[in-house]
Amino acid sequence: MTTYDDLPVEHNPLASMPHDSHGGISNPVLGMLLFITSEVMFFGGLFAAYFNIRANAAQWPPINPSATPPAPFHLQVLPVQIVDGNPSYSFVLIATLLLILSSFSCQIGVWAIRRDDRTGFIRAMVITVILGIVFLLMQLTDYAILGNEGLTLSSGTYGTTYYTLTGFHGAHVFGGVIMLSVVLYRGMVGQFSSKHYDAVEGASLYWHFVDVVWILLFSLLYLLPGKTPAV
Amino acid sequence: MSSSRRSRSRETAVFALAVGALIIGVSLILLFYGANVLKAGNEILTGLYPPIAVTTQGAEVRNLYTVIFLIAVAIFLVVEGLIIWTVIRYRRKPGDVTLPPQTHGNNIAEFVWTVVPTIIVIFMFIVSWQTLNSVDVSSSSAQTKIRAVAGQFQWTFEYLDQTGTKVEYTEFQSLVAKGGGMYVPAGRTVQLQLFVSPKDVIHAFYVPQFLFKRDVVPGRTTSFDFTVDAADAGQTFRGQCAELCGTLHSTMLFDVKAVTAPEFDTWLAGKVAEANATPAPAPSGAVGETVHISASGIKYEQTDVSAKAGAPFQIEFENKDAGTPHNVSIHQGSPTGTEVFQGAIFNGVATKDYEVKALDAGTYSFVCTVHPTMIGTLTVK
Amino acid sequence: MATTTLTPAASRYSALYSWLTTTDHKKIGIMYVVNSFIFFFIGGLLALGVRTELAQPGLQFVTAATYNELFTMHATFMIFLFVIPMLAGFGNYVVPLQIGAPDMAFPRVNALSLWMLPLAGILLLLGFVTGGTAAAGWTSYAPLSEDRPLAAVGAGQDLWIVALVLIGTSSILGAINFLVTIFKMRAPGMTLFRMPIMVWTVLVTSVLVLMATPVITSALIMLFIDRNYGGAFFDPSRGGDAILYQNIFWFYSHPAVYVMILPAMGMVSEILPVFSRKPLFGYKAFIFATAAIGALGFSVWAHHMFTTGAVYLPFFSIMTFLIAIPTGVKMFNWVFTMWRGQLMLKTPLLFAIGFLTMFLIGGINGAFSASVPVDFALHDTYWVVAHLHYVLFGGSVFGVMGGFYYWFPKMTGRMMNETVGKVQFAVMFIGFNMTFFPMHELGLAGMPRRIADYSSTAGWNDLNLVATIGGFTIAFSMLLFLWNVFLSLRSGPVAGDDPWEGNTLEWATTSPPPAYNFDHLPEIRSERPVFDARWGRVAEH
Repeated sequence: MTTYDDLPVEHNPLASMPHDSHGGISNPVLGMLLFITSEVMFFGGLFAAYFNIRANAAQWPPINPSATPPAPFHLQVLPVQIVDGNPSYSFVLIATLLLILSSFSCQIGVWAIRRDDRTGFIRAMVITVILGIVFLLMQLTDYAILGNEGLTLSSGTYGTTYYTLTGFHGAHVFGGVIMLSVVLYRGMVGQFSSKHYDAVEGASLYWHFVDVVWILLFSLLYLLPGKTPAV
Repeated sequence: MSSSRRSRSRETAVFALAVGALIIGVSLILLFYGANVLKAGNEILTGLYPPIAVTTQGAEVRNLYTVIFLIAVAIFLVVEGLIIWTVIRYRRKPGDVTLPPQTHGNNIAEFVWTVVPTIIVIFMFIVSWQTLNSVDVSSSSAQTKIRAVAGQFQWTFEYLDQTGTKVEYTEFQSLVAKGGGMYVPAGRTVQLQLFVSPKDVIHAFYVPQFLFKRDVVPGRTTSFDFTVDAADAGQTFRGQCAELCGTLHSTMLFDVKAVTAPEFDTWLAGKVAEANATPAPAPSGAVGETVHISASGIKYEQTDVSAKAGAPFQIEFENKDAGTPHNVSIHQGSPTGTEVFQGAIFNGVATKDYEVKALDAGTYSFVCTVHPTMIGTLTVK
Repeated sequence: MATTTLTPAASRYSALYSWLTTTDHKKIGIMYVVNSFIFFFIGGLLALGVRTELAQPGLQFVTAATYNELFTMHATFMIFLFVIPMLAGFGNYVVPLQIGAPDMAFPRVNALSLWMLPLAGILLLLGFVTGGTAAAGWTSYAPLSEDRPLAAVGAGQDLWIVALVLIGTSSILGAINFLVTIFKMRAPGMTLFRMPIMVWTVLVTSVLVLMATPVITSALIMLFIDRNYGGAFFDPSRGGDAILYQNIFWFYSHPAVYVMILPAMGMVSEILPVFSRKPLFGYKAFIFATAAIGALGFSVWAHHMFTTGAVYLPFFSIMTFLIAIPTGVKMFNWVFTMWRGQLMLKTPLLFAIGFLTMFLIGGINGAFSASVPVDFALHDTYWVVAHLHYVLFGGSVFGVMGGFYYWFPKMTGRMMNETVGKVQFAVMFIGFNMTFFPMHELGLAGMPRRIADYSSTAGWNDLNLVATIGGFTIAFSMLLFLWNVFLSLRSGPVAGDDPWEGNTLEWATTSPPPAYNFDHLPEIRSERPVFDARWGRVAEH
């Protein structure tokens, strides 16, 4: 039985498979970029729905029927605000800053492994994973606070769009945390080097994407001014 | 891979058999349409045309159809003919051993068959656009305004005043044609508004002889104008819902009855007078018990009610669905049994009292005449 | 040209286990094809159910509610579990071979993409035994598909949503696989402009799948949230918008029709040159036309919504008209490939010619719908049913049949029976036209779509009966097809490496190829490397 070793090298079919990037980006990284493209289109559909519903509404955010007295829904940006003499909390600004920081730490990790600094790479990845988990916990806390105020999936268009958009983003953060954890583990058992780190690059691209989507979402949901019907 | 002589002649035999079967099949079809092939040909041609339009807008669409049809036939004959001719003419013959000329392409040809179709297509767009601008119009100055209200699975027609906002008379299109339908004045422009309850689903108003349809979308009001030709006064046109709306979609039919404009005005005035005339007040006192029935979300909120046998009773019917027509009708036994009572149909949110005559003991069903899936049981004992 | 294969190592796994766990693109491709045919038959049975009920006025066989399930599931199976995966399956088998690669870029993801499909199919079928499948049409418009009292759409609709999300994920992963494979794993000498047209069509199709499918995923998820979590996306009574669903839905579903036709066009573009013994006429024009169709395909979606009164009509009308132009370019290029050739009228070519003649009709009757006022009359009538079947059956199915007859020898090492093939073609061609041509007239006469029953006085009886007879004729032709497949697998003549004197690299190896595809490759200097090698234009190695 012949093996591949017996074939003359220039006809060896495996030679045509790029083993590392001696011609452009590697297969896994290209694959990840294409996957991110598809994810952009997925969020595009959700964003389109949000814009459409918002444009059709005369009053945005809509009135919260369970508020006393009824007033429009409000997403608080600042961490602490005094409302009617009581402090009101919102973790979203801190969470956003932490997520942006995690993109920086992730990129630092990529740079580290590119120059074979395995320790630096692992350290940066640990920080990134922790920041990702903290983001998710802060998001869940904010959900609980908003839920108490009457904003739920079923409380109308505002709740439906808010929770769907942020919820799917959160799911993608969760997927990213898992991905980064796998990369972290593989790094810890020594599978990456300056010549072999495609998975790290792929995971970091995905993480940056997740961060960019959040910045857009945060601006859209929290910062964009609302509208009231002309009296 | 060369085939043996025997299998090649077998292949030819099969080919001939297939062509023969095709000819026999086509002949049978022609025979089925009648021995007169010319008549059949004319029928086929008419079949490939929409019906003669009964509105001025429809007639314009039909003219546009002719333009597109002629272009389509021309393209079909040229290209299909080219394909068939090529297949027949360039079959490989036994003498063809060397390769044919290996032509890779021709840039001039590419240019021609890109530019010429572009011109044809732009022409078709322009004539379509021009027709669209005269067909897809909704003018607030139309003399007659009617609103078609769709619902699962019935139509209701509301005749509006000149401003198009106040309903002067409502007529409901029953499933079994009992003389109901949308009356329209021939020769006069009618603005038709389309409405459906936001809790209902999408329907479509389609009259084939108008060569027109428009969706009825919950949450939106659409409208369009049509003018039935004066010559078509006295005719009835069939209409049907053309957007899947649930189980009874295929039964959501309606009629459009065209009458002359003076006839229409007289008819509408008569109906308005009839509706405004106050009915004789119910005999005071012995009214019997009151059965309470309410409708919400295109469902009755009560599934089982009861009444005493042998005495007239009152149904207090509360329609909680805004803008949606409901009523209570009582049938013997099953919902499709003999109808023993039909209350007036009215839009929500409103409450009306129905006076029901004495019923014998037994099991009855109460059904909404507009929404036949709304049912409940009435036990009379 | 004879090749030898390496003898495979004796496997300690059973054949079944090896097929279930394989990551070989050829085996996966064959399983895609088999799976797709199974769902073609299921979808076909559902169509026979529809046609049997419609043959005569009156509800004879099913209730109106069941009828709604029949046509909904017919279209769902045909689109999502037959046409799209069938073309992906052929792409899976053929593309790595045609570019001289040993496999796809991500073989394990490839296997995942495959196995999601039968799972999704089972979920869809479960609806039949859990109280009713989806019944709101394959388009599943809101608010009918939402939790409406009279919608008669139960839990089957949710199963439908989940199944479609699974299938969409399978498609997207497949698209990523195809794109990386095509961009990164071509053999030396195979520049982009020497790739076979089949590979080009799979490339453009994969771009469409990648960018459009996620959008319908978002629509389905929003629908699921509305149905199950009290969402208000498409609920007009709570601030949502029914038209929003249609816009998001059609933004995917229109490019989807190009996903369903482009690879079939690629197959036809492989068959015509081989069986005309001439190169494809206008190779570069073909590529640009394909790319143009892909790009324009994203700009026409609202032509499905002309009658809603909610879209900007002139833009979508002109873009719809414009997409006829690259399609016409392809049509002429195909015809001129045959022009002055030496046509070998074998079954693959017959189906390719069937494609040309029938897809032409589908394209022409589509132009009627592009004209907005005419569409006001024709939308949601049987005219549209005629149009969609002329392009999807007359186009995609005929293309797939041609591709099957063409590549069957490569996949199995045996030739299919020519006589049975020709008879199957003739019966299918006649049955197809008998079923769908009358629908032009039915639509013009005013018969709407998706109706379980029609009035006996409407004048539609005869044409419906003819269409039903045609439907059973198609079914008979598929029985002939099945018979041919089993006959050929059992005792078809041995095919050899290159039974058709092909042009492209798959014919430069054995039939079937070894697991690693090629022992050696001929020099690649044009889009027809095997042709060049056969006629001495390049070294064969």
